[in-house]
Amino acid sequence: MAAVRAVHYINQFFGQIGGEEKADIKPFKQDGPVGPGTALQKALGSEIEIVGTIICGDTYFNENIDTASQEVMDLMAGYQPQMVIAGPAFNAGRYGMACGAVCAAAAERFSIPVITGMYEENPGADLYRKQVYVVKTGNSAAKMRDAISAMSKLALKLARGEELGTPAEEGYLDKGIRVNIVFEERGSARAVEMLLKKLKGEPYQSEYPMPSFSRVTPRPPIKDLKHAKIALVTSGGIVPKGNPDRIEASSASHFGRYDITGIEDLTEDIFQTAHGGYDPVYANQDADRVLPIDVLRQLEKEGVIGSLHNVYYATVGNGTSVANAQKYAHAIGLELAQENIDGIILTST
Amino acid sequence: MDMANQARIKEIAEKYGSENVVVVLGGAEAESAGLTAETVIAGDPTYAGPLTNIALKLPVYHILELKELVDPQVYEDQISMMEMVLEVDEIVAEMSNIRDELMKD
Repeated sequence: MAAVRAVHYINQFFGQIGGEEKADIKPFKQDGPVGPGTALQKALGSEIEIVGTIICGDTYFNENIDTASQEVMDLMAGYQPQMVIAGPAFNAGRYGMACGAVCAAAAERFSIPVITGMYEENPGADLYRKQVYVVKTGNSAAKMRDAISAMSKLALKLARGEELGTPAEEGYLDKGIRVNIVFEERGSARAVEMLLKKLKGEPYQSEYPMPSFSRVTPRPPIKDLKHAKIALVTSGGIVPKGNPDRIEASSASHFGRYDITGIEDLTEDIFQTAHGGYDPVYANQDADRVLPIDVLRQLEKEGVIGSLHNVYYATVGNGTSVANAQKYAHAIGLELAQENIDGIILTST
Repeated sequence: MDMANQARIKEIAEKYGSENVVVVLGGAEAESAGLTAETVIAGDPTYAGPLTNIALKLPVYHILELKELVDPQVYEDQISMMEMVLEVDEIVAEMSNIRDELMKD
């Protein structure tokens, strides 16, 4: 049997073209596997052949989603693909969005199986999981080996036309599809069994998992802004020049606190951003664009607010997990609670 | 391991020959030290950098493994502080696992 013809989509980084500085390159093709595709090809064996690779810059793709998708599809068409594999994108947001969009477009245009791999919290996963098989991966390229193994297993099953098990068994994110299954025990018996386990405090698995929403109760409004003490907290990575606490450009492992007593304006000789997820030029030129100290000082002078707290907190939101972000927020909140703060302004990027 | 360092290691290994190069790491975590070691032995495990699919098989050690080879005064000045705060056993175990697994054959 001839091998299934697969086309692989990767970004400029994994295509070994370059990092952020090359993120605006237009899509182009290269015959055969490239970068992670070489590992995929090894795992796929002789049943699936990666006949071509499409490489595209993440910025270019995300700023021109419609035209970029079209360009990628046209390049793919030249290879007469029978399957499209994209990524894995791990927790890279723009790469994840591109992988999802490429797979969705390929499924529509060529009516072929498509598969990608992402970390569960990648925004691309949420957006495209219903249309595309998104294999669960770790959150960074350090988990490449596991991702390749999981993606190739699913790709081989799809190529052979084998029936897939549940998302949990196959390692992909559920697509929201319901399938009838016949159980030996009837529903009431299963429900009682679950209830008994719950009452005993034993682990049990619901047959109808509920989505979990994180809800934050809004605080009561600030009644008297003229006498309120306002604090600033940012996930935009604004730090004193030189990044003294070495906050990571991505997946920050901590946050910093910085004294702004007497500082009226964040100028480029004393402040910068540590964030690695956006073009830092404009934030480095004038960090007030991300953390508006200048405007708040002005409001302080005008008497619109009582005062600006003399310490601000900063971390980098880029790739930082929700769990870690909650941990930092809790710690920052506890510190600010001791300072009799009336309100906090959170700024992002 | 970042792209620039991969390129540098590749260049040095080509210039002097793999048999004449030893890589010494100073990474603070076992996992990252392990990934770096893997990169210079078997190639870039993320398949993104210049060492993708290039197995240089360079001997690689963490500085914490080389204590006995270093002038005690230099070690005291430069390393001893970090030795107190790092998970030394974990790093050493990871380094020898990677070497055992990848340096054979």
